[in-house]
Amino acid sequence: MLSHFVVGAASGLYIGDLLFYLVSFILLLLLIKHFAWGPVTKMMENRATKISNDLDYAEDSRTKASSLQAQRQKELDNSQQEATGIVNDARQNGEKQRQTILSTAQDEAGTLKSNAQKDIAQEREDALKSAQNDVAALSIEIASKIIQKELKADDQKALIDSYIEGLGKQNGAR
Amino acid sequence: MNEETYVVKFLGIPFNITNVISGLAAFAIVFCLVYFLSRNLAMKPTGKQNVLEWIIDFTNGIVSSNIPGEQGKRFNLFAFVLFLFIFVSNQMGLAIQIIVGGTTYLKSPTSDPMVTMSLALMVLLLAHFFGVQRFGVKGYLVNSYLRPVSFMLPIELLEEFTNFLTLSFRLYGNIFAGEVLLTLVGSVAKSHGLITTVVALPLEMVWQGFSVFIGSIQAYVFVTLSMVYISQKVEKE
Repeated sequence: MLSHFVVGAASGLYIGDLLFYLVSFILLLLLIKHFAWGPVTKMMENRATKISNDLDYAEDSRTKASSLQAQRQKELDNSQQEATGIVNDARQNGEKQRQTILSTAQDEAGTLKSNAQKDIAQEREDALKSAQNDVAALSIEIASKIIQKELKADDQKALIDSYIEGLGKQNGAR
Repeated sequence: MNEETYVVKFLGIPFNITNVISGLAAFAIVFCLVYFLSRNLAMKPTGKQNVLEWIIDFTNGIVSSNIPGEQGKRFNLFAFVLFLFIFVSNQMGLAIQIIVGGTTYLKSPTSDPMVTMSLALMVLLLAHFFGVQRFGVKGYLVNSYLRPVSFMLPIELLEEFTNFLTLSFRLYGNIFAGEVLLTLVGSVAKSHGLITTVVALPLEMVWQGFSVFIGSIQAYVFVTLSMVYISQKVEKE
């Protein structure tokens, strides 16, 4: 056993072992490189690049999502403001329109009223005038009718008679 | 343990057959394990793929904490295979040892100094190679031995050897000691029949558990130190 502490002293230095191990180690290196190391490291590198790509992509989409979110929020705020503006405008417009409609209606009503009053006055006047005309016409007609009656003989005779009787009485009583 | 070594000469080069068989077994186990874990890869990892990716992340962490930046990335695969091989080798001897007729055929490869020295040599060769590749021969020499102060040159030179020795013998010593103790407890168990077996069984279990822990720690330490030595050569001081 002690012989092993004096390296190779017992039965010579086994150079063959050295060569054998060198050659077979190199062989093993090549075999493992071909069958395992190459594919595995390639796979690991692929995975590393895929993971970093995925991370980049995730980061990208995260920023995109947050910017979208901000934009959406802004648009929401804008639309709320807009909505408030629209409602306010509509209210103001409504108020204005109400005022206009009211004033127009009042004006119209005033015009109508004054027109009606005017018409009424006119009509009254017209009526009065026509009544006067009618009275005059009637008077004339009555007068003419009276006059025409005088002209008739009987009436005239009666009238004359009455008239004469009146006269006689007047004389006799006198 | 190391009762006999069965040495085969091939092309005039001596091979220790124990180390060859154990090493082949460890390499086969590592490859089968990784091959099994890496089937049916998916973008969303499940089950065994998670295990594999956890080991890869672990060794990548060791590398990047010592050699930061792009520079360290090319050592990822090396660290991964080195870690798995040493880890499996350390645990192998705890689970199984095959000794036939006094000759060990299968044990932890890392309990042999030749194996750990091979690994350490490989690591340090790589360190020097990448140092030269990065800075050029002159830059490498200046960066490695004359920075930050030139009067440290002897110590720097000495350090190259001590690095090699400590790196290999730390691993070897830990694993070898673990196996020695396991064998000793085993022989105690066999010495006086049933009584010693009953006594030795919990001891053996405790020591095996501790050896699993040590084996894991040593695998981590070896890979970490390897990366430290490489970073000393490829990083500007």
